[in-house]
Amino acid sequence: MKITFPHMGNIYFAAKTLFGDLGIDYVIPPISSKASLELGSLHSAEEMCLPFKIMIGNYIHAIEKGADTVIITGSCGPCRLGEYCELQMNLMKRLGYNLDFIVIDSPNDIGAKELLSRFGKISSKSTLSKTNKIAALLRAIKVINLVDEIEAMARNKAGYEVNKGESKKILNECKKEAMNCSDGKSMIALLNSYKTRLENIEADKNKNPIKIAIIGEIYTVIEPFSNLYIEDKLMDYGVSTHRTLSPSWWLKNLVLSPINLNQLDIKRKAKEYLPLMIGGHARECIGEAVLAHDEGFDGAIQIFPMGCMPEIVSKAILPQISKDKDFPILTLVVDEMTGEAGYITRIEAFIDLLERRKDNVLSRC
Amino acid sequence: MYYLGVDVGSVSTDLVLLNERKEVIEKLYLRTKGKPIAAIQEGFKALKGKYENVEIAAVGTTGSGRQIASTLIGADAVKNEITAHAVAALETDNDVRTIIEIGGQDSKIIVLKNGIVTDFAMNTVCAAGTGSFLDRQAERLEIPIEAFGDYALEAKGSVRIAGRCAVFAESDMIHKQQMGYNEGEIIKGLCEALVRNYLNNVAKGKEIQSKIFFQGGVAANLGMKSAFEDALGKSVFIPEHYNMMGAIGAALIAKAKAEKAGKTMFKGFDLAESIFSSKSFECQGCSNGCEVVKIQENEAVIGCFGDRCGKWGSELAV
Repeated sequence: MKITFPHMGNIYFAAKTLFGDLGIDYVIPPISSKASLELGSLHSAEEMCLPFKIMIGNYIHAIEKGADTVIITGSCGPCRLGEYCELQMNLMKRLGYNLDFIVIDSPNDIGAKELLSRFGKISSKSTLSKTNKIAALLRAIKVINLVDEIEAMARNKAGYEVNKGESKKILNECKKEAMNCSDGKSMIALLNSYKTRLENIEADKNKNPIKIAIIGEIYTVIEPFSNLYIEDKLMDYGVSTHRTLSPSWWLKNLVLSPINLNQLDIKRKAKEYLPLMIGGHARECIGEAVLAHDEGFDGAIQIFPMGCMPEIVSKAILPQISKDKDFPILTLVVDEMTGEAGYITRIEAFIDLLERRKDNVLSRC
Repeated sequence: MYYLGVDVGSVSTDLVLLNERKEVIEKLYLRTKGKPIAAIQEGFKALKGKYENVEIAAVGTTGSGRQIASTLIGADAVKNEITAHAVAALETDNDVRTIIEIGGQDSKIIVLKNGIVTDFAMNTVCAAGTGSFLDRQAERLEIPIEAFGDYALEAKGSVRIAGRCAVFAESDMIHKQQMGYNEGEIIKGLCEALVRNYLNNVAKGKEIQSKIFFQGGVAANLGMKSAFEDALGKSVFIPEHYNMMGAIGAALIAKAKAEKAGKTMFKGFDLAESIFSSKSFECQGCSNGCEVVKIQENEAVIGCFGDRCGKWGSELAV
């Protein structure tokens, strides 16, 4: 068994730690790129959403490197992402690949027993003792939390740094170095050292940078290739960004959701506009938009793949929030046809808009 | 001292020179024809004998070719079209509330309040209703594009054209021609269809308040102006330099920026004689596989675009 998984932001760091430490054979697909998207688009239905296509590309690239088992998350929620696993199993079979799929689903939907047996399928390949397996899992969780934390810090510091580009450079270097680590322990040590470095970069506390919240569909906000590296671009413009959704957030949410203690603040903030869970992360998107306004952000950018039902609903609600709170929100829809020129023009114009609003108090009257 | 603005768009490349009083003293409207470098050189050739390098106090670029133009010319400001258009319109009239801008392949709406941009939108999926589509229809009907609007104004009635998609609009026009409607009525119908398309797509959900400015190349078409006025029930103003607004905005922004910096980055008019070549390749450095474009001036590399990591030097001038 050689395990692989679709890319989604920083997940590959945790996967490397987990499978590496467990001693299970695994393949990390090459970082999502044009090649993965083209390959995925070729084999997917045209109207299928962007994440599906990129994932198919990831699988095929991983198979080329010897993978035969895919781990993917599923859900019975009303969003197509929950059905990806079934569709992808069919598609890959039709393409003639003999792939095994292990679907990690919420215990509410498949039962705790089934979930444990699926985990067992993976962990039985490891020769470690039970205690050591759990230790490896904990290290992987530690890694994903650390990477997400470092990334969030770098994105925020980009607005305050004195030496332009420093936080981006440290972030990129950190990610590159982390992949050279031999095991989880050394990766955690390395991440901690980069965290300290990032904490200590020269920052100008008096700077008042533009602050933007990145909201929207979970895959397209987390996987940088799918949103044309919007966060990197914003760093170049000296904008501080914040994104709530991340793999570590997702994990925490998953653990807390059976007891209904997940993301209480987001739910509370969304209540006025969208009190129901309508699938995907639409309610989160609405809650985050309101939260971003309350926390003093200058604006928000919503990103979602073409044809994403939950986000289309939230897109229709956002203008009302924008009007009620006098809070600018830009919506960007991405798919394989997205032209970068128009995309950048809109981002730049949005930053100009926020900048000029800041300078001109009258505009808020 | 003069301030140069360059707007490299999909259809046209516009150059303007402003004087100290921010008046347009020189304007050039050139066809880009897919060769932005050649178009800029052509413009510079026309300016070279008339002005000295030292007379240029600031240069700004905008339009879809703003980065390449900036590399070539040495720009003080590189701004997106939306901001550039808004700045130019505000300079003309500070009371403007809505800007309808239709260019070669983009159509935009910009909403302003108290002299600052508060909202904007841009066409994303379809170019129906933009300049290149009108260009093509004029060509097909064998009417010069300059006269297109007059045909619409003279028409007594109009024919309803399906304007949601450029291809279907064309089929519908052919169908209506074959049924025997006259050209004027069809053209008027087309203008109305394009306005409908604009208001339903680009301007959807936006409040359109007076004063309304209509700018970009398509504003030359008086048929479009009157179709907008009919649909909105409000008067629409076309600024004097409607097809140069992007370039004017870029020049104004550059003026402010260069004054703050105390110097200009302008490389001089000599680039008109240089030999430029561009080469593109896929970087093999990592699995990102960026498509990098390298621009050379007389064999020397002056700039690279398209790489994400900065390995080939994508210095960002904002």
